[in-house]
Amino acid sequence: MLKQICRVIVLACGVVLASGIARAADVVIGIPSWSSADATAHVVKEILSSRLGLDVAVKTGTNEEIFAGIDQGTMHVHPEVWLPNHKALHDKYVLGRKTAILSEKGVPAEQGICVTRRTAERFGIRKIEDLSDPEKAKTFDTNQDGLGEMWIGDSDWSSTRIEKIRAKSYGHAKTMQLLEAQETVAMAAIDAAVAVDRPLAFYCYAPHHLFSLHEVVFLQEPPYSPLSWRVVDPADDPQWLDHSQAAVAWPTSFLHIVYSAKLADTHPKAAKLLSAIRLDVDTVSEMTYAIVVDGIPAADFARQWVKDNAERIDAWAAAK
Amino acid sequence: MGCSQMMNRELTAKIMNTLRARAVARRLWQTAIVGCALIVSLAAHEAFAASSKIYDQQERRWIEFTPERAKAFYKRHNQTPASFSRQVVPFRTAEKPGTIIIDGVRHFLYLVLPDKKAIRYGIGVGREGFGWTGIVQVGRKQEWPRWTPPKEMIERDPKLEKYANGMPGGPENPLGARAIYLFEGSRDTLYRIHGTTEPWSIGLNISSGCIRMNNDDVVDLYQRVQIGAKVIVLFQGASLLKGV
Repeated sequence: MLKQICRVIVLACGVVLASGIARAADVVIGIPSWSSADATAHVVKEILSSRLGLDVAVKTGTNEEIFAGIDQGTMHVHPEVWLPNHKALHDKYVLGRKTAILSEKGVPAEQGICVTRRTAERFGIRKIEDLSDPEKAKTFDTNQDGLGEMWIGDSDWSSTRIEKIRAKSYGHAKTMQLLEAQETVAMAAIDAAVAVDRPLAFYCYAPHHLFSLHEVVFLQEPPYSPLSWRVVDPADDPQWLDHSQAAVAWPTSFLHIVYSAKLADTHPKAAKLLSAIRLDVDTVSEMTYAIVVDGIPAADFARQWVKDNAERIDAWAAAK
Repeated sequence: MGCSQMMNRELTAKIMNTLRARAVARRLWQTAIVGCALIVSLAAHEAFAASSKIYDQQERRWIEFTPERAKAFYKRHNQTPASFSRQVVPFRTAEKPGTIIIDGVRHFLYLVLPDKKAIRYGIGVGREGFGWTGIVQVGRKQEWPRWTPPKEMIERDPKLEKYANGMPGGPENPLGARAIYLFEGSRDTLYRIHGTTEPWSIGLNISSGCIRMNNDDVVDLYQRVQIGAKVIVLFQGASLLKGV
């Protein structure tokens, strides 16, 4: 009997504790697996908690998990949605279900394939079609199988799927082995390649701390044309790779904050502030470099950044 | 300094001297697939050559570094080529000091230092490179580790039967002076960074998938690296696709 009473008490305590934790977070910010999103997430967290007194939590997840969390009400903010990369998720939740809202102004971003500057200078590899040249592709061959190797992103990134399409369309899918891995591994590979002056090609995007750490350059590509950009979503067509074609540069991309439509009811000031936040390339680069390269803890950096940018945040808070 | 530490140091010095003076465990090492063959595919990746390339400073060109050349070089100079010697090098990275980065292609292991520098050590890796790519942690460290040959190896070479329950650590043990055990979370990946009884093999892709260092270097690394340190194994060819 005593045991049963104890069990009930323990269970009740657990329920109270769990509900307390659940209640503690007014806003949950999802953090996908790349560094600039991590930096932005912590800055947004600091802004919402310091300006509005909200309890804000952060939680890691894939893009799909974060969007689904926003849809279901378990998460409230995605700090960095890339368009067009996340167009399918955007269309589903922002345009379709209307459970998520895209902040109006995005940060312009760039993405493509990069090489180290020394690779471009020593081997004359400056254009993306150089990767389709079997002889030039061998420059990147590390296992003597006649194919080069290049990192194209993490396996759960939307851009990785599109890089596969682009590799097929340009032709370097036949001359280069396309490798998927965590970004940390790829960044360390760049560090090591630069250290011994080894040629390297890899997917890259800006803003990113990489450009402050190493001399890397984008490979030249034919400009983006909507007529030449046919990217089929695997959810719509299992033959997506065969039916896609994109032998042109990425369109100019934009990074947006996405937040839950329910915030307008539950925390309207938070929703208003999130819609008003205006970051830019320099800010995102600065934040990422400080956290990733200088090793400043994200929470510490965010606290200082919010202090140093008080007027800017005031303007966002006052925006109509 | 504790008594046991002093004893360890004395023991280490004694054994290291023995190591330098004697050519030990030649045959054993050649038949052993250093330590971790059990968990690495025994089907050797023939496409992955056993040789690597080193830069000849005098000739100013890259030359094939084969086991034969490596042995000859070591016999002549009593050391591996200079590029595989332990040295502090400039190394720009976002990784924290204390992180280990393993470049199996160039046969280097970097221990990240502050101020955009790293200690670079020469390493030897398996025929198929390290066999996988990813991020793990230092889960355990061991001085003069015990080595147990895998069952398959004993089947191939019955003389190893006497070590079925493990070969004690010491100068003839193919794992060398130290072993650093790589974990993924709390799980032992069964991959190790360890010493070797064949220092000439540094810079080569021979044996199996663990990371070999000469004993002086693995002792140096062992002293510097902390339990829990991040270890990033870079991709070599298609090894990435195998994952941990």
